[in-house]
Amino acid sequence: MSAPPKGSKNGSRRKKIAKLLKDRATYRGCIAIIAVLVLWEAGSVLGLPILKNIPSLSSVLVSFKEAVFDPAYYVSWKDSFMRIFLGFTLALIIGIPLGLFMGTSRYIRELTLPVFEVLRPIPPLAWVPASAIFWPDVEMSVIFVTFLGAFFVLILNIVGGARSIDARYIRAAVSLGASRRDVFWRIVLPATLPSILVGMTVGIGVCWNTVVAAEMIASRSGLGFLTWRSYVTFSYPMIVVGMISIGIAGYISSGIIRILGARLMPWLKTN
Amino acid sequence: MILSQLIKNNGGAVAEKPAVSEATTGKISIRDVGIIYDPEGVHVVAVQNCSLEIPAGEFCVIVGPSGCGKTTLLNAIAGFHGVTSGEIYLDDELLCSSEVTTDPGADRIVVFQNGALFPWNTVLENVIYGPVVQGKMTRPEAREAGHEMLLQMGLSGISHSYPSEISSGMRRRVEIARAMMNDPKVLLLDEPFRAMDALTKTVVQKYLLDVYDASNKTVFFITHDLEEAIFLGTRVYVMTTRPGQIKKVINVDIPRPRDFRVLSSEIYRDLKEEVIEAVHEEAKKAFEAGERERA
Repeated sequence: MSAPPKGSKNGSRRKKIAKLLKDRATYRGCIAIIAVLVLWEAGSVLGLPILKNIPSLSSVLVSFKEAVFDPAYYVSWKDSFMRIFLGFTLALIIGIPLGLFMGTSRYIRELTLPVFEVLRPIPPLAWVPASAIFWPDVEMSVIFVTFLGAFFVLILNIVGGARSIDARYIRAAVSLGASRRDVFWRIVLPATLPSILVGMTVGIGVCWNTVVAAEMIASRSGLGFLTWRSYVTFSYPMIVVGMISIGIAGYISSGIIRILGARLMPWLKTN
Repeated sequence: MILSQLIKNNGGAVAEKPAVSEATTGKISIRDVGIIYDPEGVHVVAVQNCSLEIPAGEFCVIVGPSGCGKTTLLNAIAGFHGVTSGEIYLDDELLCSSEVTTDPGADRIVVFQNGALFPWNTVLENVIYGPVVQGKMTRPEAREAGHEMLLQMGLSGISHSYPSEISSGMRRRVEIARAMMNDPKVLLLDEPFRAMDALTKTVVQKYLLDVYDASNKTVFFITHDLEEAIFLGTRVYVMTTRPGQIKKVINVDIPRPRDFRVLSSEIYRDLKEEVIEAVHEEAKKAFEAGERERA
């Protein structure tokens, strides 16, 4: 109950892996993945209809190997991640406080929510031309569009979360002598944290969608651009490398948020 | 603290009556109180001409049919909303009238129906919440006092657990401990043991009695459970259907400290009959009123 014995975390991880290896579902999953890979390769080797148009697994692996040793490949990673980082962080910095104020103050909510309701249904990508005109350079407009992708999702989640706080908690806090400030920092914020994390998880996904498309349309660098350029220059295996890279990048981003969530909300861990 | 020794002495079977000094604070006077919701619109008279005097240190239990205004009355004492007419005094100081409302405060702590421990705080952090936000103690001081309080209340093993990790019975005990941390004049309990299984309930009831016997705080306890009302209360106030007012006051002359042997005593059974009769009449009225409304 009190301090856990040292090394228990390692122990539990080892146990988890052992359990995974014993689990039948793990093997079934592996079989399915291998089957897809075999079908993919067989498609181009045997010239199966439709499948033969896809660059073969082996050619993709070759391209991947080339990419891994090419510094330009990592520049693409860095550029995309930088845009995500800036756009997403900006969305957090503006979105979290604004969302909390909108959730807790009826005045602010009634003042601002209609604006959001009007702007929200516009897909972030529809903003690309307008933001290209508005912002002085392409980089800024891509970041802006990425920011929008996370911003609306974040705001709506936080407003929803802050509004649905159980009144009991606030009453209990006030009854225990909490000031408005205490209620905000010690009740509203932690109670809304799960909604903030949900908004972040969904938001980072939208961010990647947006940044990839924006890079394809407007930018001259990044993983989205890499993928699109490969298409334009007929280096088809590289398209798949780009796609897989984007997938990995998205997985890493949401993994970071998941870890952050577990750190920030230890009370939600299931045991 | 005296509380610790008393609870220890008192845990389990009937010990000698602990020598607690008579309570001097926590007298509640409810004088001719009326509470109307939405007076301009729907105009629901929740409480009307309701008067009761609760002496300092009394364990007062309010029973009555659903929707009779029990919780409304408790919320008015707690300061969650005002009254439309009449006055409520705490130790002869005006808490609220039609003109005055006093903000909720740590002298009248509420323990809610479904529990309101903060899920994001550990048991210890929950318990020290009051003194910390009031600025009465620094965090290290509060932690020390909190540990002490949990130890006294037999809860020290769970101080670093989150509320979701402990049983519902434990949660209620922690909530009572959190309230007691503030040394309130009055404990306001709104059906705190509702939706608990019978066995857990008996344990937590006994626990509350121990705390009460040791501290002699005024307790304002709302319940639907008539057996609970008699087992716990010094006096049971039966409320009428809405608009709520006091229909009957029943003195429970069962000596303290009480334990479960009380439940099979004759005096208990007689009292239960008396309360059931009073409440049943009102419950029937409430039911018929509901039928009429639907017709």
